[in-house]
Amino acid sequence: MDKLGQEWVSAAVDGEVDEQALAELAANKDSHEQWRDYHMIGDAMRGELPKTMNLDLSASIAAAIELEPAILAPAQPKLEETQVTKKSNVIPMFKQFGQYAIAASVALVAVIGVQNYSQETAIDASPLPVLNTRPLVGSVTPVSLQTGPVQQNQGFSNVQMKEQRQRINAYIQDHMLQQRLNNGVKIEDNSGVDSIPVSN
Amino acid sequence: MRLFLLALLVLHFPAMAQEDMSAKAWLENMSQALREQEYKISLIQLQADHIRPLVYIHGKIEDKEVAFLEHLNGPPKNAVRVGNTVTFIEHDQPAYSINASRIQGILPPAFAGDISALESGYQFVLGGRSRLAGRPGQLVRIIPVDGFRYGYQVWLDMDTFLPLRYDMLTQDKQLLEQILVVELLVLDDVPAILNEAYKQPWPGVIAQPTRDAGDNWKFKWLPEGFNVLVKDSHRLMGSHEAVEYIALSDGIANISVYVARAGDAVMPEELVTRNGLSLATERIGNAEVVAVGKVPAETLSRIAKSITIE
Repeated sequence: MDKLGQEWVSAAVDGEVDEQALAELAANKDSHEQWRDYHMIGDAMRGELPKTMNLDLSASIAAAIELEPAILAPAQPKLEETQVTKKSNVIPMFKQFGQYAIAASVALVAVIGVQNYSQETAIDASPLPVLNTRPLVGSVTPVSLQTGPVQQNQGFSNVQMKEQRQRINAYIQDHMLQQRLNNGVKIEDNSGVDSIPVSN
Repeated sequence: MRLFLLALLVLHFPAMAQEDMSAKAWLENMSQALREQEYKISLIQLQADHIRPLVYIHGKIEDKEVAFLEHLNGPPKNAVRVGNTVTFIEHDQPAYSINASRIQGILPPAFAGDISALESGYQFVLGGRSRLAGRPGQLVRIIPVDGFRYGYQVWLDMDTFLPLRYDMLTQDKQLLEQILVVELLVLDDVPAILNEAYKQPWPGVIAQPTRDAGDNWKFKWLPEGFNVLVKDSHRLMGSHEAVEYIALSDGIANISVYVARAGDAVMPEELVTRNGLSLATERIGNAEVVAVGKVPAETLSRIAKSITIE
């Protein structure tokens, strides 16, 4: 391809030729490479280059188009496709998890031993006492005391309030932990434990 | 015309069968569906002022139930169940496994268990029908036999019997917790993620903290249907305080009763949280009895008062 031809391709890239010329360009396979190069130069100058590039995109697209059957009617979207469960990003996490190897008992303490000291200072300032506990599932839920003598006990010092809150937290957290641990226990099979006779 | 009527009759038959079903049969079908079917449920859990979107996927691989629960918002927090082992994968600690028959935290595990076990504490009543998650749903009310526990209502999908909505209510119909299914997909085969979960080498079940046999505690009074699940003595996780522990359950509601030496800080007599969890304390000499559970605080108070040692 001569110099003049190159200029012509360059003009086409900039959109300065008519449709007929474009059709001619499309027919001339040799100029395709240059077409691509000019576009890339233009993109680079405008700073629009993607991070990674498949340089031979045009060839692969052309190959893909050739493989595609002629479409006579608009294709109906396949029903199954909407039903397909999308792979979520969880699978990589499964893999990552294998690296953990820490004593399980430690983990257990970490599950439930949530002491939100940083938040507690903020809570002390609020009129309603709020405790932070961690529900079995989900994020930390602030829970407020609705009844009980906590609010009325004006004689309580801050230290006592804090201590009380910690004790309440300890009980609620243990209760929640027990929900997880007791889940495997069924009422029928507590053979190892003497059941307590209940009189109504 | 006769043919048309006949066709109408035939068409109606499956519906008639559902028409005749008792509330308990609906719940039993739900229990079976939750265990046997392969499905993906996208749901929203509402608790006090918290809204959490979750996805729950359930299937069966080699006759073992495999389930996966994922939190869609916030830091990653998932749970995987293979057979009777549940592994919690949370962002802030290494994964750990426990023995459990269901993933705790969404529906009460009892919903996938033996429904008859709930009959001593609850009555089942059929309600109306409404459309939920784009599907027709049948309401089943689980009404407490007394005022000592909360009530529940579930809407079940008319085709699959899987739950479409779950409410936990106080006696005066105040909503404590709600689960709304947004999308229910019945799957034809086991999704890839469950296959992956099944193949993963999950950590072994953690050794339970040593459970010393507790003292012989007795209750002079318990609400109808409540039984002792476990009793032991252990130390509280946060404060390392030594406690005597008794777990009570009526199938749905779980109550923990602790007996400990009274601390310097006085515990509140009664405490109610907005998501239904209550706590009650009874002081006996220099010991205190603390009861915690998702039941009305008065129930806990009465239980704490009724404990005696043999």
